[in-house]
Amino acid sequence: MSTTATRPARGLGWLYAVGGALGLAAAVALTLEKIATLTDPDYVPTCSLNPTISCGSVMDSDQAAAFGFPNPLIGIAAFAVVTTVGVVRLAGFAPPRWFRVGMQAGATFGVVFVHWLIAASLYDIHALCPYCMLVWAVTIPIFWYTTLDTLRAFDATRDIGDLLARAHSAVLAAWYVAIAVLVLVEFWDYWRTLF
Amino acid sequence: MARSSGNRVPARRGVSGNVIATVAIVVLAVAVIGGILVFGGDGDGGGDGGDGGDTAGEIPAELRAGPDSNTLTEAEGDAVTIVEFLDYQCPACAAYYTNVTKQLEEDYADRVTFVTRNFPLSMHPLAQPAARAAEAAAAQGRYREMYHQLYDNYQQWAVTEDGQRVSDDEQRATTLFDSYATEIGLDLDRFHTDLASAEIQRRIDADVAAGERVGVSSTPTIYVNGEKFESSAESFDDVAAQLRDQIDEALG
Repeated sequence: MSTTATRPARGLGWLYAVGGALGLAAAVALTLEKIATLTDPDYVPTCSLNPTISCGSVMDSDQAAAFGFPNPLIGIAAFAVVTTVGVVRLAGFAPPRWFRVGMQAGATFGVVFVHWLIAASLYDIHALCPYCMLVWAVTIPIFWYTTLDTLRAFDATRDIGDLLARAHSAVLAAWYVAIAVLVLVEFWDYWRTLF
Repeated sequence: MARSSGNRVPARRGVSGNVIATVAIVVLAVAVIGGILVFGGDGDGGGDGGDGGDTAGEIPAELRAGPDSNTLTEAEGDAVTIVEFLDYQCPACAAYYTNVTKQLEEDYADRVTFVTRNFPLSMHPLAQPAARAAEAAAAQGRYREMYHQLYDNYQQWAVTEDGQRVSDDEQRATTLFDSYATEIGLDLDRFHTDLASAEIQRRIDADVAAGERVGVSSTPTIYVNGEKFESSAESFDDVAAQLRDQIDEALG
Protein backbone atom coordinates (compact mmCIF):
# COMPACT_ATOMS: atom_id res chain seq x y z
CA MET A 1 0.00 0.00 0.00
CA SER A 2 1.27 3.47 -0.69
CA THR A 3 1.43 4.70 2.86
CA THR A 4 2.67 8.15 1.94
CA ALA A 5 -0.45 8.80 -0.09
CA THR A 6 -3.14 7.47 2.22
CA ARG A 7 -1.76 8.46 5.61
CA PRO A 8 -1.70 12.22 5.20
CA ALA A 9 -5.00 12.07 3.35
CA ARG A 10 -6.72 10.46 6.34
CA GLY A 11 -5.00 12.87 8.68
CA LEU A 12 -6.23 15.77 6.62
CA GLY A 13 -9.73 14.26 6.65
CA TRP A 14 -9.73 14.26 10.43
CA LEU A 15 -8.28 17.78 10.56
CA TYR A 16 -11.00 19.07 8.23
CA ALA A 17 -13.75 17.24 10.12
CA VAL A 18 -12.69 18.26 13.63
CA GLY A 19 -11.18 21.66 12.80
CA GLY A 20 -14.12 22.50 10.57
CA ALA A 21 -16.58 21.51 13.29
CA LEU A 22 -14.79 23.67 15.87
CA GLY A 23 -14.66 26.61 13.46
CA LEU A 24 -18.31 26.10 12.63
CA ALA A 25 -19.22 26.05 16.33
CA ALA A 26 -17.30 29.30 16.90
CA ALA A 27 -18.92 30.96 13.87
CA VAL A 28 -22.39 29.87 15.02
CA ALA A 29 -21.68 31.15 18.55
CA LEU A 30 -20.53 34.51 17.20
CA THR A 31 -23.57 34.78 14.95
CA LEU A 32 -25.92 34.03 17.86
CA GLU A 33 -24.12 36.59 20.03
CA LYS A 34 -24.40 39.12 17.22
CA ILE A 35 -28.14 38.47 16.88
CA ALA A 36 -28.56 38.77 20.65
CA THR A 37 -26.78 42.14 20.70
CA LEU A 38 -28.90 43.37 17.81
CA THR A 39 -32.12 42.33 19.55
CA ASP A 40 -31.14 43.80 22.90
CA PRO A 41 -28.66 46.69 22.83
CA ASP A 42 -27.89 46.14 26.53
CA TYR A 43 -27.00 42.49 26.02
CA VAL A 44 -23.49 41.62 27.17
CA PRO A 45 -22.03 38.73 25.15
CA THR A 46 -21.13 35.64 27.15
CA CYS A 47 -17.56 35.93 25.98
CA SER A 48 -17.09 39.51 27.19
CA LEU A 49 -15.37 39.06 30.51
CA ASN A 50 -13.49 42.36 30.81
CA PRO A 51 -12.09 45.09 28.55
CA THR A 52 -9.33 42.79 27.29
CA ILE A 53 -11.23 39.53 26.87
CA SER A 54 -14.20 40.89 25.02
CA CYS A 55 -16.06 39.78 21.95
CA GLY A 56 -18.45 42.72 22.33
CA SER A 57 -15.89 45.30 21.25
CA VAL A 58 -14.53 42.99 18.56
CA MET A 59 -17.99 42.25 17.11
CA ASP A 60 -18.88 45.93 17.09
CA SER A 61 -15.76 46.92 15.16
CA ASP A 62 -15.73 47.83 11.47
CA GLN A 63 -13.46 44.88 10.77
CA ALA A 64 -16.11 42.46 12.09
CA ALA A 65 -18.10 43.08 8.93
CA ALA A 66 -15.25 43.25 6.45
CA PHE A 67 -17.50 42.68 3.44
CA GLY A 68 -20.49 44.63 4.68
CA PHE A 69 -22.09 41.76 6.59
CA PRO A 70 -20.96 39.99 9.77
CA ASN A 71 -17.85 37.85 9.21
CA PRO A 72 -19.19 34.80 11.09
CA LEU A 73 -21.64 34.26 8.23
CA ILE A 74 -18.62 33.51 6.03
CA GLY A 75 -17.42 31.16 8.76
CA ILE A 76 -20.69 29.28 8.89
CA ALA A 77 -20.63 28.66 5.16
CA ALA A 78 -16.91 27.95 4.85
CA PHE A 79 -16.43 25.77 7.92
CA ALA A 80 -19.50 23.71 6.98
CA VAL A 81 -17.80 22.96 3.66
CA VAL A 82 -14.50 22.13 5.39
CA THR A 83 -16.28 19.75 7.77
CA THR A 84 -18.14 18.07 4.91
CA VAL A 85 -14.99 17.62 2.85
CA GLY A 86 -13.32 16.13 5.92
CA VAL A 87 -16.09 13.63 6.37
CA VAL A 88 -16.17 12.58 2.72
CA ARG A 89 -12.39 12.23 2.72
CA LEU A 90 -12.70 9.96 5.75
CA ALA A 91 -15.37 8.05 3.86
CA GLY A 92 -12.81 7.25 1.22
CA PHE A 93 -13.14 10.04 -1.31
CA ALA A 94 -9.81 10.73 -3.02
CA PRO A 95 -10.16 14.26 -4.36
CA PRO A 96 -8.88 15.06 -7.86
CA ARG A 97 -6.34 17.84 -8.20
CA TRP A 98 -8.80 20.52 -9.25
CA PHE A 99 -10.72 19.84 -6.05
CA ARG A 100 -7.56 20.22 -3.95
CA VAL A 101 -6.78 23.47 -5.72
CA GLY A 102 -10.25 24.69 -4.77
CA MET A 103 -9.66 23.79 -1.12
CA GLN A 104 -6.29 25.50 -1.35
CA ALA A 105 -7.87 28.69 -2.66
CA GLY A 106 -10.45 28.68 0.12
CA ALA A 107 -7.91 27.90 2.83
CA THR A 108 -5.57 30.61 1.54
CA PHE A 109 -8.34 33.18 1.59
CA GLY A 110 -9.21 32.01 5.11
CA VAL A 111 -5.70 32.26 6.48
CA VAL A 112 -5.06 35.69 4.97
CA PHE A 113 -8.39 36.95 6.28
CA VAL A 114 -7.73 35.51 9.74
CA HIS A 115 -4.31 37.20 9.97
CA TRP A 116 -5.83 40.49 8.94
CA LEU A 117 -8.35 40.00 11.75
CA ILE A 118 -5.59 39.10 14.21
CA ALA A 119 -3.79 42.34 13.36
CA ALA A 120 -7.05 44.28 13.76
CA SER A 121 -7.79 42.62 17.09
CA LEU A 122 -4.33 43.28 18.49
CA TYR A 123 -3.41 46.67 17.11
CA ASP A 124 -6.69 48.38 16.34
CA ILE A 125 -9.44 47.06 18.60
CA HIS A 126 -7.12 46.16 21.50
CA ALA A 127 -9.30 43.28 22.64
CA LEU A 128 -9.35 39.53 22.34
CA CYS A 129 -12.47 37.59 21.46
CA PRO A 130 -12.33 33.95 22.55
CA TYR A 131 -14.55 32.56 19.76
CA CYS A 132 -12.54 34.48 17.18
CA MET A 133 -9.34 33.05 18.63
CA LEU A 134 -10.75 29.56 18.19
CA VAL A 135 -11.25 30.42 14.52
CA TRP A 136 -7.63 31.63 14.31
CA ALA A 137 -6.49 28.40 15.96
CA VAL A 138 -8.24 26.09 13.49
CA THR A 139 -7.73 28.12 10.31
CA ILE A 140 -3.95 28.05 10.59
CA PRO A 141 -3.54 24.24 10.63
CA ILE A 142 -6.27 23.84 8.00
CA PHE A 143 -4.31 26.14 5.71
CA TRP A 144 -0.95 24.62 6.51
CA TYR A 145 -1.94 20.97 6.03
CA THR A 146 -3.99 21.82 2.94
CA THR A 147 -0.91 23.47 1.48
CA LEU A 148 1.23 20.41 2.21
CA ASP A 149 -1.42 18.21 0.62
CA THR A 150 -1.67 20.40 -2.47
CA LEU A 151 2.10 20.64 -2.90
CA ARG A 152 2.39 16.86 -2.75
CA ALA A 153 -0.42 16.36 -5.24
CA PHE A 154 1.58 17.86 -8.09
CA ASP A 155 4.78 16.39 -9.50
CA ALA A 156 6.47 19.75 -9.80
CA THR A 157 6.05 20.58 -6.14
CA ARG A 158 6.10 17.11 -4.59
CA ASP A 159 9.71 17.39 -3.39
CA ILE A 160 9.21 20.66 -1.61
CA GLY A 161 5.97 19.35 -0.17
CA ASP A 162 7.74 16.29 1.18
CA LEU A 163 10.49 18.45 2.60
CA LEU A 164 8.08 20.76 4.39
CA ALA A 165 6.03 17.79 5.59
CA ARG A 166 9.06 16.53 7.44
CA ALA A 167 8.74 19.52 9.77
CA HIS A 168 4.95 19.73 9.58
CA SER A 169 4.16 20.07 13.27
CA ALA A 170 7.31 22.08 14.02
CA VAL A 171 6.20 24.74 11.53
CA LEU A 172 2.72 24.72 13.01
CA ALA A 173 4.10 25.04 16.56
CA ALA A 174 6.37 27.92 15.52
CA TRP A 175 3.40 29.62 13.87
CA TYR A 176 1.27 29.31 17.02
CA VAL A 177 4.13 30.48 19.21
CA ALA A 178 4.69 33.55 17.02
CA ILE A 179 1.05 34.57 17.40
CA ALA A 180 1.02 33.77 21.11
CA VAL A 181 4.05 36.02 21.58
CA LEU A 182 2.38 38.88 19.68
CA VAL A 183 -0.72 38.49 21.85
CA LEU A 184 1.33 38.38 25.05
CA VAL A 185 3.40 41.41 24.14
CA GLU A 186 0.42 43.51 23.08
CA PHE A 187 -1.61 42.75 26.19
CA TRP A 188 1.30 42.66 28.60
CA ASP A 189 -0.44 44.96 31.10
CA TYR A 190 -3.32 42.55 31.27
CA TRP A 191 -1.36 39.31 31.63
CA ARG A 192 0.75 40.93 34.33
CA THR A 193 -2.32 41.34 36.51
CA LEU A 194 -3.02 37.61 36.31
CA PHE A 195 0.29 36.59 37.84
CA MET B 1 16.24 6.75 6.55
CA ALA B 2 15.21 4.95 9.69
CA ARG B 3 11.65 3.92 9.08
CA SER B 4 9.47 3.97 12.18
CA SER B 5 10.99 2.51 15.27
CA GLY B 6 7.76 2.63 17.28
CA ASN B 7 4.99 0.11 16.79
CA ARG B 8 2.15 2.38 15.70
CA VAL B 9 4.05 5.43 14.54
CA PRO B 10 3.14 6.20 10.93
CA ALA B 11 5.97 5.33 8.63
CA ARG B 12 6.89 8.83 7.61
CA ARG B 13 10.44 9.97 7.11
CA GLY B 14 11.86 12.42 9.59
CA VAL B 15 9.04 11.99 12.08
CA SER B 16 11.36 11.95 15.06
CA GLY B 17 13.19 15.10 13.95
CA ASN B 18 9.89 16.85 13.48
CA VAL B 19 8.58 15.72 16.84
CA ILE B 20 11.78 16.82 18.58
CA ALA B 21 11.67 20.22 16.88
CA THR B 22 7.98 20.63 17.77
CA VAL B 23 8.50 19.71 21.40
CA ALA B 24 11.57 21.95 21.56
CA ILE B 25 9.66 24.94 20.18
CA VAL B 26 6.75 24.46 22.55
CA VAL B 27 8.88 23.81 25.63
CA LEU B 28 11.15 26.76 24.85
CA ALA B 29 8.20 29.09 24.31
CA VAL B 30 6.45 27.99 27.49
CA ALA B 31 9.67 28.26 29.51
CA VAL B 32 10.61 31.71 28.21
CA ILE B 33 7.12 33.22 28.32
CA GLY B 34 6.25 31.61 31.64
CA GLY B 35 9.59 32.66 33.08
CA ILE B 36 9.13 36.28 32.07
CA LEU B 37 5.54 36.36 33.30
CA VAL B 38 6.34 34.81 36.66
CA PHE B 39 9.74 36.26 37.41
CA GLY B 40 9.75 39.72 36.06
CA GLY B 41 8.41 42.50 33.95
CA ASP B 42 11.21 43.44 31.61
CA GLY B 43 14.34 41.72 30.40
CA ASP B 44 16.03 42.57 33.72
CA GLY B 45 14.19 39.78 35.52
CA GLY B 46 17.30 37.67 35.79
CA GLY B 47 19.39 40.48 37.23
CA ASP B 48 16.94 41.00 40.05
CA GLY B 49 19.26 40.02 42.87
CA GLY B 50 22.05 42.14 41.43
CA ASP B 51 19.70 45.11 41.08
CA GLY B 52 18.79 44.93 44.74
CA GLY B 53 22.45 44.95 45.69
CA ASP B 54 23.37 47.86 43.41
CA THR B 55 20.57 50.11 44.52
CA ALA B 56 20.82 49.35 48.21
CA GLY B 57 23.12 52.30 48.78
CA GLU B 58 21.89 54.82 46.25
CA ILE B 59 18.29 55.15 45.11
CA PRO B 60 18.05 56.91 41.75
CA ALA B 61 16.27 60.27 41.71
CA GLU B 62 13.55 58.79 39.51
CA LEU B 63 12.57 56.52 42.38
CA ARG B 64 12.68 59.13 45.15
CA ALA B 65 10.36 62.01 45.95
CA GLY B 66 11.44 65.21 44.23
CA PRO B 67 10.57 68.74 45.40
CA ASP B 68 7.59 68.93 43.04
CA SER B 69 6.54 65.27 43.04
CA ASN B 70 2.88 64.41 43.42
CA THR B 71 2.42 62.59 46.68
CA LEU B 72 -0.46 60.73 48.24
CA THR B 73 1.16 60.51 51.66
CA GLU B 74 4.26 62.09 53.13
CA ALA B 75 6.35 60.84 56.01
CA GLU B 76 8.92 62.69 58.05
CA GLY B 77 12.45 62.06 56.85
CA ASP B 78 11.41 59.93 53.87
CA ALA B 79 12.35 56.67 55.57
CA VAL B 80 10.37 54.67 53.05
CA THR B 81 9.40 55.95 49.64
CA ILE B 82 6.94 54.16 47.40
CA VAL B 83 6.91 55.27 43.79
CA GLU B 84 4.11 54.11 41.54
CA PHE B 85 4.22 54.65 37.80
CA LEU B 86 0.58 54.71 36.75
CA ASP B 87 -1.80 55.34 33.89
CA TYR B 88 -5.18 56.61 35.01
CA GLN B 89 -7.02 54.70 32.30
CA CYS B 90 -5.20 51.39 32.65
CA PRO B 91 -7.60 48.71 33.91
CA ALA B 92 -4.82 47.01 35.88
CA CYS B 93 -3.99 50.32 37.62
CA ALA B 94 -7.64 50.83 38.54
CA ALA B 95 -7.76 47.28 39.90
CA TYR B 96 -4.59 47.93 41.91
CA TYR B 97 -6.11 51.12 43.26
CA THR B 98 -9.32 49.43 44.35
CA ASN B 99 -7.72 46.32 45.78
CA VAL B 100 -4.28 47.35 46.93
CA THR B 101 -3.12 50.94 47.03
CA LYS B 102 -6.22 52.75 48.27
CA GLN B 103 -6.16 50.90 51.58
CA LEU B 104 -2.38 51.05 51.69
CA GLU B 105 -2.45 54.82 51.44
CA GLU B 106 -4.74 54.98 54.47
CA ASP B 107 -2.91 52.42 56.57
CA TYR B 108 0.59 53.82 56.01
CA ALA B 109 -0.50 57.46 55.85
CA ASP B 110 2.17 59.04 58.05
CA ARG B 111 4.80 56.33 57.85
CA VAL B 112 5.69 56.28 54.14
CA THR B 113 6.02 58.77 51.31
CA PHE B 114 3.87 57.60 48.43
CA VAL B 115 4.84 59.24 45.14
CA THR B 116 2.93 58.75 41.90
CA ARG B 117 4.42 59.39 38.50
CA ASN B 118 2.60 59.58 35.19
CA PHE B 119 3.15 56.79 32.73
CA PRO B 120 0.25 57.15 30.28
CA LEU B 121 0.34 54.34 27.73
CA SER B 122 -0.54 55.04 24.11
CA MET B 123 -3.00 52.14 24.06
CA HIS B 124 -5.28 54.08 26.44
CA PRO B 125 -6.74 57.06 24.55
CA LEU B 126 -7.83 58.98 27.67
CA ALA B 127 -4.70 58.37 29.72
CA GLN B 128 -3.11 61.66 28.63
CA PRO B 129 -6.20 63.83 29.26
CA ALA B 130 -6.62 62.19 32.67
CA ALA B 131 -2.95 62.77 33.52
CA ARG B 132 -3.37 66.44 32.53
CA ALA B 133 -6.45 66.71 34.76
CA ALA B 134 -4.50 65.26 37.68
CA GLU B 135 -1.57 67.62 37.08
CA ALA B 136 -3.89 70.60 36.67
CA ALA B 137 -5.40 69.76 40.06
CA ALA B 138 -1.88 69.42 41.45
CA ALA B 139 -1.18 72.95 40.25
CA GLN B 140 -3.88 74.08 42.67
CA GLY B 141 -2.61 71.81 45.45
CA ARG B 142 -5.36 69.24 45.06
CA TYR B 143 -3.52 66.39 43.38
CA ARG B 144 -4.49 63.78 45.89
CA GLU B 145 -8.17 64.67 45.65
CA MET B 146 -8.16 64.46 41.86
CA TYR B 147 -6.26 61.17 41.95
CA HIS B 148 -9.06 59.75 44.09
CA GLN B 149 -11.77 61.24 41.90
CA LEU B 150 -10.21 59.70 38.78
CA TYR B 151 -9.86 56.22 40.21
CA ASP B 152 -13.03 56.21 42.31
CA ASN B 153 -15.00 57.20 39.21
CA TYR B 154 -13.02 55.03 36.80
CA GLN B 155 -16.16 53.27 35.55
CA GLN B 156 -17.71 56.65 34.66
CA TRP B 157 -15.04 58.14 32.44
CA ALA B 158 -12.50 55.46 31.55
CA VAL B 159 -14.60 52.66 30.10
CA THR B 160 -17.35 52.58 27.51
CA GLU B 161 -20.90 52.59 28.73
CA ASP B 162 -21.24 48.83 28.31
CA GLY B 163 -18.11 48.47 30.47
CA GLN B 164 -16.44 46.30 27.85
CA ARG B 165 -13.43 48.33 26.79
CA VAL B 166 -11.46 51.46 27.47
CA SER B 167 -13.34 54.51 26.31
CA ASP B 168 -12.06 56.97 23.71
CA ASP B 169 -14.82 59.48 24.36
CA GLU B 170 -12.69 62.49 25.27
CA GLN B 171 -15.63 64.87 25.31
CA ARG B 172 -17.49 62.85 27.91
CA ALA B 173 -14.32 62.44 29.97
CA THR B 174 -13.55 66.18 29.84
CA THR B 175 -17.05 67.02 31.06
CA LEU B 176 -16.66 64.54 33.89
CA PHE B 177 -13.20 65.89 34.79
CA ASP B 178 -14.82 69.34 35.12
CA SER B 179 -17.37 67.91 37.51
CA TYR B 180 -14.61 66.29 39.57
CA ALA B 181 -12.71 69.57 39.61
CA THR B 182 -15.82 71.35 40.89
CA GLU B 183 -16.36 68.61 43.44
CA ILE B 184 -12.89 69.05 44.96
CA GLY B 185 -13.19 72.83 44.93
CA LEU B 186 -10.86 73.81 42.11
CA ASP B 187 -10.97 77.16 40.38
CA LEU B 188 -12.48 75.92 37.11
CA ASP B 189 -11.09 78.70 34.92
CA ARG B 190 -7.59 78.11 36.14
CA PHE B 191 -8.13 74.34 35.79
CA HIS B 192 -8.96 74.83 32.10
CA THR B 193 -5.96 77.06 31.51
CA ASP B 194 -3.66 74.57 33.22
CA LEU B 195 -5.12 71.61 31.32
CA ALA B 196 -3.87 73.09 28.08
CA SER B 197 -0.60 74.45 29.41
CA ALA B 198 2.80 73.39 28.16
CA GLU B 199 4.05 73.20 31.75
CA ILE B 200 1.56 70.44 32.59
CA GLN B 201 2.58 68.51 29.50
CA ARG B 202 6.24 68.98 30.41
CA ARG B 203 5.61 67.49 33.86
CA ILE B 204 3.91 64.44 32.35
CA ASP B 205 6.66 63.96 29.77
CA ALA B 206 9.30 64.25 32.49
CA ASP B 207 7.62 61.46 34.47
CA VAL B 208 7.44 59.24 31.39
CA ALA B 209 11.11 59.91 30.65
CA ALA B 210 11.99 59.06 34.27
CA GLY B 211 10.04 55.83 33.99
CA GLU B 212 11.78 54.90 30.77
CA ARG B 213 15.18 55.57 32.33
CA VAL B 214 14.54 53.06 35.10
CA GLY B 215 13.03 50.52 32.71
CA VAL B 216 9.31 50.87 33.32
CA SER B 217 7.45 49.22 30.47
CA SER B 218 4.01 48.57 31.87
CA THR B 219 1.66 49.97 34.47
CA PRO B 220 1.30 49.87 37.35
CA THR B 221 4.98 49.54 38.26
CA ILE B 222 5.72 50.10 41.92
CA TYR B 223 9.07 50.68 43.63
CA VAL B 224 9.69 50.52 47.37
CA ASN B 225 12.87 52.42 48.25
CA GLY B 226 14.11 51.95 44.71
CA GLU B 227 13.41 48.25 44.64
CA LYS B 228 10.85 47.09 42.12
CA PHE B 229 7.83 45.36 43.59
CA GLU B 230 7.27 42.11 41.74
CA SER B 231 4.33 40.02 42.74
CA SER B 232 3.95 36.34 42.19
CA ALA B 233 0.49 36.37 43.78
CA GLU B 234 -2.64 35.18 42.05
CA SER B 235 -5.16 37.29 43.94
CA PHE B 236 -5.16 40.96 44.80
CA ASP B 237 -5.37 40.10 48.49
CA ASP B 238 -2.06 38.28 48.14
CA VAL B 239 -0.58 41.11 46.09
CA ALA B 240 -1.54 43.54 48.84
CA ALA B 241 -0.05 41.26 51.50
CA GLN B 242 3.22 40.94 49.57
CA LEU B 243 3.49 44.68 49.02
CA ARG B 244 2.84 45.31 52.71
CA ASP B 245 5.54 42.79 53.61
CA GLN B 246 8.02 44.59 51.38
CA ILE B 247 7.08 47.96 52.91
CA ASP B 248 7.21 46.60 56.46
CA GLU B 249 10.62 45.18 55.76
CA ALA B 250 11.82 48.56 54.50
CA LEU B 251 10.35 50.24 57.57
CA GLY B 252 12.39 47.81 59.68
